[in-house]
Amino acid sequence: MSTATTEKRPRTKKPRKTHSTLIIGAGFTGLGTAIKLREAGVEDVVILERADRVGGTWRDNTYPGAACDIPSLLYSFSFAKNPNWSRAYSPADEICAHIEDITDDFDLRQLIQFDTEVTALDYDRHEGTWTASTAGGQQYRARTVVLASGPLSNASFPNIRGIESYEGKKILSAQWDHDYDLTGKNVAVIGTGATAIQIIPEVVKKAASVKVFQRTPGWVMPRLDMPTPKVAQAVFAKVPAVQQAARNALFLSHEVAATGLVWDTPVTSLIERIGAAHLRLTVKDPWLRRQLTPEFRAGCKRMLMSSDYYPALQKDNCKLITWPIATIVPQGLRTADAVEHHVDAIIFATGYDVQLGGPPYPITGAAGRVLQEEWAGHAQAYKSASTHGYPNLFFTAGPNSGPGHNSLLVYVQGQISYAVAGIRTILDKDLVSLDVRPDVQAKHNESMQKRLKRTTWMSGCTSWYLTKDGFNGAMYPGFATQYLRQMQNFRADDYEMVSHGARRLWNVPAAEAV
Amino acid sequence: MSKTMDMEEMLQKIKDRQWALADIDWDAPGAELITDEMRPRLKAFMADLCWIENVGARGFAAMAKKAPNDTIAEIYRYFHAEEQRHANAELALLKRWGMLEDGEIPEPNVNIRLAIEWLDKYADDMSLSVLGTVIPMLEVALDGALLKFLLDEVNDPICHAVFEKINNDESRHIAVDFAVLDMLGHAKARKLAIEFVSGVASPGLIIGALMYIPLLNRVRNEVVDMGLQPERLYVAMGRFKKLGDRGEATHRVPLYQVLKWHAAMVINPKHPYHLLANTMVTLSDHYPKFLLRPIPTWFKELTYEPVSSTVSKPGARKDAA
Ligand SMILES: Cc1cc2nc3c(=O)[nH]c(=O)nc-3n(C[C@H](O)[C@H](O)[C@H](O)COP(=O)(O)OP(=O)(O)OC[C@H]3O[C@@H](n4cnc5c(N)ncnc54)[C@H](O)[C@@H]3O)c2cc1C
Ligand SMILES: [Fe+2]
Ligand SMILES: [Fe+2]
Repeated sequence: MSTATTEKRPRTKKPRKTHSTLIIGAGFTGLGTAIKLREAGVEDVVILERADRVGGTWRDNTYPGAACDIPSLLYSFSFAKNPNWSRAYSPADEICAHIEDITDDFDLRQLIQFDTEVTALDYDRHEGTWTASTAGGQQYRARTVVLASGPLSNASFPNIRGIESYEGKKILSAQWDHDYDLTGKNVAVIGTGATAIQIIPEVVKKAASVKVFQRTPGWVMPRLDMPTPKVAQAVFAKVPAVQQAARNALFLSHEVAATGLVWDTPVTSLIERIGAAHLRLTVKDPWLRRQLTPEFRAGCKRMLMSSDYYPALQKDNCKLITWPIATIVPQGLRTADAVEHHVDAIIFATGYDVQLGGPPYPITGAAGRVLQEEWAGHAQAYKSASTHGYPNLFFTAGPNSGPGHNSLLVYVQGQISYAVAGIRTILDKDLVSLDVRPDVQAKHNESMQKRLKRTTWMSGCTSWYLTKDGFNGAMYPGFATQYLRQMQNFRADDYEMVSHGARRLWNVPAAEAV
Repeated sequence: MSKTMDMEEMLQKIKDRQWALADIDWDAPGAELITDEMRPRLKAFMADLCWIENVGARGFAAMAKKAPNDTIAEIYRYFHAEEQRHANAELALLKRWGMLEDGEIPEPNVNIRLAIEWLDKYADDMSLSVLGTVIPMLEVALDGALLKFLLDEVNDPICHAVFEKINNDESRHIAVDFAVLDMLGHAKARKLAIEFVSGVASPGLIIGALMYIPLLNRVRNEVVDMGLQPERLYVAMGRFKKLGDRGEATHRVPLYQVLKWHAAMVINPKHPYHLLANTMVTLSDHYPKFLLRPIPTWFKELTYEPVSSTVSKPGARKDAA
């Protein structure tokens, strides 16, 4: 089995039994999958989570200002609603508490193995099972696996010249150090993306000075955040249908926005005009406006939602710096205009380790091939969920599943129902393996790439959606409605199936029966 | 410089060769070598030089938005900053020589003010082919070239050290400038013609020329005032032709031909052109101050301080207007 990766570990403990399903990760997606699997009668489920708590993104991202930028009513599962959201866009701790509540409400805690980091996954083609190796040595085996370890769950300091020489406090947005007090400090913030625009307004309130180092400005739309009226909370609690109706309305409005954010259309220009008006109305100085004006089509990179970012930049103690960073030095950083900026702390809001080539732990499939090597060029899957050569394995947030600007959880719900349908098929038909047909997968990807051509993501900007050579294996080129229809339709015909029964009958090993 | 310049490699080189005010010992001996009689003219000249850097900076800022690809855009982003760096370094020299009060930033002369207004108003709307032709001219004739004159006059070793750094930057600017100009020349003839007609006929470019002509002559006059040979300036302008003609396709850029023709007039001191140009200098001296728009905030980002520890908003400083 997984020799290469497990040899280093002191004591490998063999799996005790073969479970029906292993889920990797206890964030929204992993927990949602467990809920739906049990609803479908799959009880023998184990969730492996490297942290000591549930929550994923919302447990890890505790930086000041952390909140969702899709309205909470839509940024939640339709099957696990929360009538009590305090605001239109809930803060991270509230979302995390909601995830804890789901865990208890659906009695999931007993399924979770905490402090268990998966380090490798290996497929056994004879048994048709997957074995997960973990950092602690314990192995787990199951007939099926759902990967829910998160699209943005890893972050690290960026590779900026001189970073190792810095003597002040380095803060990574995704691993915020709450023991460090920013009050009265001179602070640098590197980055002006979705995370930075949430952090900056908060830091400006406390720090003596804040210098914001920008490379590329993004489109910023006003975010109309407000407390949820008490009446609404009460109605949502009593009449869930009303909350569902509000959710539907939000869903529709995001679908309408997709006509401009997914495809390059006149609506895109309209959205840009709104962004430009937002800028004009809130930023006085023409040069600052110029510095903040994006040079790419709206939607090409992630849209930024904030009504307090532009005002924060214009506070007396805050300054936007657009000179390139030449190097980091012991006391701060130098910009290419020859000035050295001395700061007490540098906040790195420089993004996440995006997993365009698959999760960071090796996944070895049927023919002994490693997924990450296969995907090093371009990631490919069928309906974002299955990829040939890796039977009985289901991706979430897989290739070409990214929403343009919609709730990821809406898409995840589709992925969950697809995985559940696949897993039910394996169990019901008593399959050794369920492997997507390569021709079906190839056809699907051809159509994906064709449809992607007219999207804003391919309109010429560089973004973390694209590989270095400009391939888009990340985003789904369509409406959420289309995506959900695709995911609700699990077709067994698209797969090569080998059943235990058939194998016994013909007495051939699984791999050869394919 | 050829059309095959590897821009990725150039960008990497630029990133590797960054320097900062903090690299220089501004208190090292040598400042005393500046004589009292040199002071007033040197201050005026350096002040103009420093503002001309800033004009170039604004030009690169406009270029960055027009660049044909991400790498060249990034190069222009650096060049924009590097021109600012030159201006900052020149201010730091002025400060070192005791020519600036604390916090003082020298006033730009009226021609520069007008050039700034022009840049702020029109530069972002100019096509790459116009900017890509005008900027190299600015660079060979003014930016970079002028500071070389000083080295004969000024013996301060720090001044020499600074100018060596600036010169190294400038040689990369010029290499890229002319590589891009040559790239422009490879465009289809029809495209060149259309861009030329629409670019040159635009009020922006005509007004731009009206700004550029007296600015150039004012600098020429200052050079002469300092007891330097104007021929040095002409040699610099001659480089425009020399470097441009080396390119394979540069000669196909119509605006390049216009500027070359113009340069030929400038470097001929007997050409009646100078009557016109000098009249324009005099006229601009009488340009009503109240017509000048407030200096844009980007123009006030200059600093001679090697280190910045807190936020100072340019708006907070008194307006030079
Ligand atoms: C700051 C931030 C804001 C966001 N805001 C929005 C928003 O407003 N709207 C939106 O739609 N999306 C948003 N997202 C995207 C967000 O990641 C998803 O919406 C959602 O949280 C993903 O849930 P998940 O369960 O798939 O992944 P995660 O929440 O990342 O959970 C993955 C879990 O897997 C665990 N794990 C990872 N690797 C291993 C391993 N090797 N072994 C064991 N366990 C492992 C992690 O510890 C984690 O608990 C945001 C993301 C970030 C980072
Ligand atoms: Fe310069
Ligand atoms: Fe230059």
